[in-house]
Amino acid sequence: MDKQATLDLLYVAAFFLGGLGFAAGPVIIALLLAPRTTRNTAGKSGQLIECGMEPIGDAWIRFGIVYYLYALMFVAFAVDILFLFPVALIYRKTAEAAMNIGDMRAFIEILLFVGILSLIIIYAWKKGVFKWERKNFNRQ
Amino acid sequence: MGTQEFQPPIVQFAPLDKLLALGRANSLWPMTFGIACCAIEMMATGASRFDLARFGAEVFRPSPRHCDVMIVCGTISKKMVPAIKTLYDQMPEPKWVIAMGNCAISGGPFVFDGQYGIVEGADQLFPVDVFIPGCPPRPEALIEGIIELEQKITGFRRWPVVEVE
Repeated sequence: MDKQATLDLLYVAAFFLGGLGFAAGPVIIALLLAPRTTRNTAGKSGQLIECGMEPIGDAWIRFGIVYYLYALMFVAFAVDILFLFPVALIYRKTAEAAMNIGDMRAFIEILLFVGILSLIIIYAWKKGVFKWERKNFNRQ
Repeated sequence: MGTQEFQPPIVQFAPLDKLLALGRANSLWPMTFGIACCAIEMMATGASRFDLARFGAEVFRPSPRHCDVMIVCGTISKKMVPAIKTLYDQMPEPKWVIAMGNCAISGGPFVFDGQYGIVEGADQLFPVDVFIPGCPPRPEALIEGIIELEQKITGFRRWPVVEVE
């Protein structure tokens, strides 16, 4: 390794340590300088709810599964859009230069791609995702 | 159950403590916490006419975990005591309490033989640093109370004493 490469590595290491110190430094300083406990009257310093009221129940409860299906639908279409970006780039190029693929062909290919992906909606519709109702999986 | 003892920080330097006290005194964060009519005066103090921001104490925080000062402004009904105690517990150290108004000092006009509804003074619940008399105190009185608290924190008075004409 020549001198320049070593120097570069040292720079990288210095910046890395600087960044690490910037992130961890305040936490450590606060740990050292802050009082470790707080005076209290009812032993409720650790209570999560901050409005003074007693919390009802736990935050670790079971949420409706309906939202999970909805989120899956969102992911499917997000991926759809993600794939359209490179297609859009290529499509413009082919339209300008008319290289291998003809204009019409590229258009039909995109249409096919989006068309097949759009079947997700029909599939989900058939499965009843858009009906916002509580799903019961209790065995009879 | 509760305790008034707390473990001090691991690292302590006297000059640093002085500096921190100066910073704390000039940027007190009171809690947005009004339990009775004195809270109206507290709101007036925070608003533009009396402008508590001139003394650095205008950042009323809705969460006790952000706060330095609890201004107990008003009658403490017994129903409210668990909530007030919880809020006091949740405030991190260092913390101070201002009892504003006669009700928070001693129960005010609601004290009579056989009363069952109110706590006769905030100091029955936790230590109070500054008492502000009045029913209700004027906003200037609250500002004076906050300046008193600043004096208690730093050990000197930064603002001039107003002479009564």
